[in-house]
Amino acid sequence: MSYRLSPIDTQYFAPDHEGDDFTVIGSVVTRSDALGHVTGRTEFFEDVRPSGLLHLKMHRSTRHHARLAGVDSSAALAVPGVVRVLTGADIPNNLYTPLKLINVEPDDEPILAVDKVRYLGEPIVAVVAETEAAALAGAAAVRVDYVDLPPVFDVEEALADGAPIVNEYHGKNYFTYEGHHCRRVRLGDVDAGFAEADHVFEWRYQSSPIEQAPVETTGCTVVPQPDGRLRIHSDTQACFFTLDNTALILESDFNKLRIVGGTVGGGFGGKVDVVVEPVACVAAMVTGRPVKFVYGRHEEMQVSSPRAAERIYIKDGVLADGRIVARQVTAYIDAGAYSRHTPYGTTKAAAHFPGPYTIPNVRIDCHCVYTNRTPSSAMRGFGVTIGDFALESQMDRIARELGMDPLRLRLKNAYRDGDMKAHRKRAEGTALIEVMQKAAELVGHELPDEYRRMSSLEAR
Amino acid sequence: MASKIVTLRVNDREEEFLARPGTTLLGALRDTLGLTAAKRGCAQGACGSCNVLVDGKPVPSCLVPVETVDGAAVATLEGVAPTGDLDEVQAAFLEDFATQCGFCTPGMIMTAEALLAENPDPTRAEVVEAISGNVCRCTGYEPIVNAILDAASRRRSA
Amino acid sequence: MLANIHLPASAAEAAGLLEGGGWLLGGGTLVMPRVNTGAVPVDTLISLRAAGLDGVRVADGLAEVGAAVTLARLGEHEELAFLRPVVRSIASPPVRNLATVGGNLFATQPHGDLAVALLALGARVDVLSTGGARTIDVGEAVAHNEVVTTVHFGLPKVWRYRKAMRRKHNSASIVTVAAALVVTGGVVEQATIALGGVASTPVRANAAEQALIGRPLDLAAAEAAAAAAHEGTAPFDDAYASAWYRARVLPVHVRRALLGED
Repeated sequence: MSYRLSPIDTQYFAPDHEGDDFTVIGSVVTRSDALGHVTGRTEFFEDVRPSGLLHLKMHRSTRHHARLAGVDSSAALAVPGVVRVLTGADIPNNLYTPLKLINVEPDDEPILAVDKVRYLGEPIVAVVAETEAAALAGAAAVRVDYVDLPPVFDVEEALADGAPIVNEYHGKNYFTYEGHHCRRVRLGDVDAGFAEADHVFEWRYQSSPIEQAPVETTGCTVVPQPDGRLRIHSDTQACFFTLDNTALILESDFNKLRIVGGTVGGGFGGKVDVVVEPVACVAAMVTGRPVKFVYGRHEEMQVSSPRAAERIYIKDGVLADGRIVARQVTAYIDAGAYSRHTPYGTTKAAAHFPGPYTIPNVRIDCHCVYTNRTPSSAMRGFGVTIGDFALESQMDRIARELGMDPLRLRLKNAYRDGDMKAHRKRAEGTALIEVMQKAAELVGHELPDEYRRMSSLEAR
Repeated sequence: MASKIVTLRVNDREEEFLARPGTTLLGALRDTLGLTAAKRGCAQGACGSCNVLVDGKPVPSCLVPVETVDGAAVATLEGVAPTGDLDEVQAAFLEDFATQCGFCTPGMIMTAEALLAENPDPTRAEVVEAISGNVCRCTGYEPIVNAILDAASRRRSA
Repeated sequence: MLANIHLPASAAEAAGLLEGGGWLLGGGTLVMPRVNTGAVPVDTLISLRAAGLDGVRVADGLAEVGAAVTLARLGEHEELAFLRPVVRSIASPPVRNLATVGGNLFATQPHGDLAVALLALGARVDVLSTGGARTIDVGEAVAHNEVVTTVHFGLPKVWRYRKAMRRKHNSASIVTVAAALVVTGGVVEQATIALGGVASTPVRANAAEQALIGRPLDLAAAEAAAAAAHEGTAPFDDAYASAWYRARVLPVHVRRALLGED
């Protein structure tokens, strides 16, 4: 096998590492975990099989939005092998939001639903049994009476007058940012920019939720220890974040929990929520036995939090020569029924707009919206990726409308070192212009001299 | 519930155990025999992470009720290098960076072993078809295909 | 929850067990996903793995295939090489090592491409119950107490097969086209065309067949057949394609299939 490994350009980098004796850079270094992977000895959480293991399966909401009129677990308890059922009343602190660790408020999500359900698949009753088959049969046997409430699935409908309130802990269908209904960025005078522009273009972009779909589903095994601590084998992407949140939910001292993790069978952001550990810990505490709670494939697809759906309107004021003089972005980011990580993702979106362009007048409104959809959370560049799709689609469409080379449109507006960004930060180390010039050269896209001479080091 | 005695020859060792009705070959390997290399990813035959060889053929072990293969020979990743010396496929996966999170790796390697046993000199297209039922969600397919081709060439020149 | 898994040694024994309720199990590719999620409404499975239904016989232009023959074995049979593209278009090699010919008849669309091919071949199906044996057309309903034992069909003179997928391997069907033709003196004398992916079951494209018969198998005839192919279809939306897309591309794939285009 010949590695496609580029040798270090020793001539170019000579001044940087004169006298250095690199032992790693420029050599092939085997991954530290690869030997375990190729021999099958890497221990994923489900490979831990303590004796006396119990299995936990969840009875989930069959409604998008409903009041719980009655929950009857007697048939579940009658299934041979079922040892225990858990409801919200069994959870010491049944209300949380994962980002409370960084002071995000309010707590808005129950571990097990109590008064109402806000999305399809929301957990209501946990069934703990001697075998997985018994736990599944028990979960299926739970009876729930619902009083249906009108659901809302569209971000703009959720913000309209008279929309059903999804999450009473917020009291309205959006997250409040320091007293504001959205995360805002303001620079210059956008209306003046539109007035000055030769063209004003406004288009809409939207995306569906995207499931991370790791091959290993979300799960954990909790093993009570003789000293009273709980050892949590988990595939979480965020061991300490999970430990702290779980301790708050259990109303336990942090040092009573131990997480064994770091081996994740694919996560891609989908395993940063704290959704299996708390209830599995409670089950282990009340039974005194090890408990495994692992999602089936359908659960992974239906209820594990995806990348948020987004709807983004971009309105640009553009001069005839392609310079963008005003940009207004209105984004609606679908948190689903609960906050999870989306208030943060929405802030990331606001921080990312208006893209890597220097525009003198900017107005950005990013709304974190609650709907009766599966709660959304992290996924590879969340808050940013869909925004980039919208921004760069917008740039292409503007170029098409102006009959202009889309690369030249971008070069003309690209930020340069020293430019003031909409967030009042001076741009440094931008190099966007040089990257585009090099990319154009590599694909044989011809640029006139004027564009080839541009430099991010020169003030515009 | 009528559990049955099942006999399997697993990685050249006779194993005899009791299986509850509905126990899959995957469940028996992992939970009864403690052979956890094969993974449960989807439990519906769609991801390939539980692929093992039954009488030499790769199958998703999550789809096989273990009573129905009573008496069969089963090969899992644990049996590929019992003494610790990696075989060509393992060595190629290791050295060619064909693993990321590692969860799909046992199924990938067993599927590759079956391919190379049948076809020692596969084309790239044949490798792609052979692993078309193995999902690598880290999407490291290129190095995986390269590693299988590399393993074939290592084995041919061994 | 499952309480019994039977492994009968003959089809007759399987039929006898089936009278007591339960589901038949071929390769497990359809039933076991439901067992694994606790979604099987029966407590008994009857596996056909050891029931002696794994023979393949080809003689005098006729094929007889046991219901428990795996797709992999079907695809390896020298005299049934024309079915290889069908087999290779279904799932992945490891799944094909389990999935059976009989089981494929019960796959729900947009799966079940072999059933589409068998419809185009005019296959007949032997079924057995404790009340006796009977032979039905492929696609005809099988009673809940009947065991599919054998599928038989004549080898086609001219065979065409095409499956549009989301990716090159291991995808359910967007549109599947299978056609068995008799071409005499350059003119299509008989045509049996079956479609998959465009209705809740495999369907015959009768109008397309009529558009082809009596004409040379050329572009004009193929286009006429393609234009008529939508008759009798009821495309659906799923994760693989929308109903709109399926309807839109159906004629393209019918034309390409008939002309053997790539």
